[in-house]
Amino acid sequence: MNTPLHLAKKEAMQSIGIECANGSAQKTKALELMNEFRKFSRSLSVMLETCTRCGVCAKACHSYLGTEDFNNIPAARAGLMRDIFNRYFSWSGRFFRKFAGSREFDKDTLDTWVSYFYQCTVCRRCAVFCPFGIDTGEIVLAGRNILTRLGIAPGFIVNIGMNELETGNNTGIRKPAIIDSCSFLEEELREETGLNIRIPVDKPQTEILYVPSSSELFTNADSLMGAAKIFHFLGIDWTLSSSLLEAANYGLHFNLDIMKRHNHRLSTAAAEVGATLVIQGECGHGWRAARMYSEGANGPFPYRMTHILPFVEERLADLSFAKLSMRATLHDPCNYARGAGLTESPRAILRECVTDFVEMTPNREKNFCCGGGAGLLMDEMLDIRMRLGKMKAEQIKSLLPLDYVALPCASCKAQVPLLLKHYGMDEIATGGVIELAGKALVMRP
Amino acid sequence: MDYFLGAVIPYTACMVFIFGTALRVVSWLKAPVPFHLTLFPAPIGAMGRIRAIFADVLLCGSLFREDKALWLRVWLFHFSFALIIAGHIAGIYYLRDQFVLIGLTHEASHTLSRFSGAIAGVIITISLLLLLWGRLANPIVRKLSVPEDFFTLLLLISIAVTGILMHLPGFRVNISEVRSFMGRLIFFEPSALPRSPMFIAHFLLVNLLLIYFPFSRLLHSVGYFVNRVMLTEAAPIYPTPATKTLRSPFAEVKAEPDASLSRRETLDREALHP
Repeated sequence: MNTPLHLAKKEAMQSIGIECANGSAQKTKALELMNEFRKFSRSLSVMLETCTRCGVCAKACHSYLGTEDFNNIPAARAGLMRDIFNRYFSWSGRFFRKFAGSREFDKDTLDTWVSYFYQCTVCRRCAVFCPFGIDTGEIVLAGRNILTRLGIAPGFIVNIGMNELETGNNTGIRKPAIIDSCSFLEEELREETGLNIRIPVDKPQTEILYVPSSSELFTNADSLMGAAKIFHFLGIDWTLSSSLLEAANYGLHFNLDIMKRHNHRLSTAAAEVGATLVIQGECGHGWRAARMYSEGANGPFPYRMTHILPFVEERLADLSFAKLSMRATLHDPCNYARGAGLTESPRAILRECVTDFVEMTPNREKNFCCGGGAGLLMDEMLDIRMRLGKMKAEQIKSLLPLDYVALPCASCKAQVPLLLKHYGMDEIATGGVIELAGKALVMRP
Repeated sequence: MDYFLGAVIPYTACMVFIFGTALRVVSWLKAPVPFHLTLFPAPIGAMGRIRAIFADVLLCGSLFREDKALWLRVWLFHFSFALIIAGHIAGIYYLRDQFVLIGLTHEASHTLSRFSGAIAGVIITISLLLLLWGRLANPIVRKLSVPEDFFTLLLLISIAVTGILMHLPGFRVNISEVRSFMGRLIFFEPSALPRSPMFIAHFLLVNLLLIYFPFSRLLHSVGYFVNRVMLTEAAPIYPTPATKTLRSPFAEVKAEPDASLSRRETLDREALHP
């Protein structure tokens, strides 16, 4: 196997309800699952069977541009599944095998799948440039789901999935620790502003439930503190929920059932506190999962749902900022720009918060992925991740000198600082957009 | 033999083309789209979707953004292909008199018809050769390609070349004979094939293309629309309107309570947050 990924142990897979298929049973089960998936989702067969192998996607993919590995060309990556799909499910591929580019399912198939489906960050940039709009991410997600149900998934992602099921957040922290952290952050806010700014947890009969990334309790605490300051300034009654303190939804990366259960948990948590509006915090794939996948995975959602960035943008007129003197740029997280159509709000906020806002090129839906999305943040992937982020690093480098890269996504917040260090730009600060807004906000006593 | 070449083959080819393509498309459409796959920025409203899709089809817009050289080859091919289809329908129906309808004389119409046909034929051949060259010259695309891709191009090139040769002096084909053959074929009164080797070659290659179509990547012409419709769907709104139907069986929320929720600690947080 040529992937450095540490795969989950049998016991870990069992704990998320998956029995590993072994040796000879793997092929039968994999083909069964492919057949099941093609009946489950239209996108798989249409996207596999429409590709004409024109190769345009090669130049669009940060993964190929960074690694220069042939199989990281979106069409080739999809080809890893398409060739097997052709062989067993298409008319021409079954009868004219070599001619139609079919491949037998053999002992290497699953190895290449796990290796290359986990070098794609499901950023959808290929879909923007593909003449047919083929979204390789869809094929990658189908592949990852099939692999997971065969018992093959990275331990890192499975662990986070387990944490989400168990505690409702990625880090696996429970209510006492959550309350503790929030009290600590409240203390910090008091020291900083002299005001009694609250970070309420599980406050009943609260209209607004805020769902940040759980990393905002620790590493990205400035983001949560920024949000708390903004809510305080606006006099908004809000709360966190200890049963769902995670905007991320790792199920989206490897198992749709887990994604569905996490989304289900969101609606339960909203009902618990009586929220009529759920505000999702800064997390890319989490926002896509919540906005785009809730209806399909969980049926009707009874509350309104928005994202912290448009929420703040709408209230910019009510907020007063002292512009921070810095040259800042914005990295458009893939799942905002291409996945959920959120591009203008962070810009509007940044323009209010900093003196010099510069655009990256390309930006918005054509932006390059940072290389840390879709659950690739595990340590063993560091080398590959640095290569996946090469295009991002070049984009940032072309804007030097630069003070700040705004990253309104928890995965990007974990990846980009490492990238900057790796490509020799450690002097640049990074952080969320809400974090900056919090810092620029002029609090009233 | 006449009956076989002039009736059995074309009717079989048409049946395979129509039903094969329909079956393939139905097999796609049978599967639900369980989630919104909207690719942003997405067009707004039904008219916006239609406009976006057709603008992209007519100009191959998404390709233009990334690769202008490939765009030129691709667009020239598809544009001349569309012209040729239109030319075949009009040319055969009006027997080169189609331009009389816009006020030309019979003679001018014949000349213009021959001239535009020749131009379109040359353009399609050149664009196909360029597409073939592109597949071979670019090492990445060559590695991505499978024999099928080359076969498709060679088949189209041979159709274009036989089509052009049909009109050259050495292979003089009697167009009115072809027209009456095609007319009878369309109205299910098949007759013997005109005795022109170049026409027979052109005709049989087209039949091969029709038979080959539903099994091949040529189906991208239909897959494009199925795919784009998914990608341009309006994003969901919350709270979900009561009238909204479930997108797929996957969406049914199970009645049983979430087991993981019950395991959660219950701690009186009121003590800490009065």
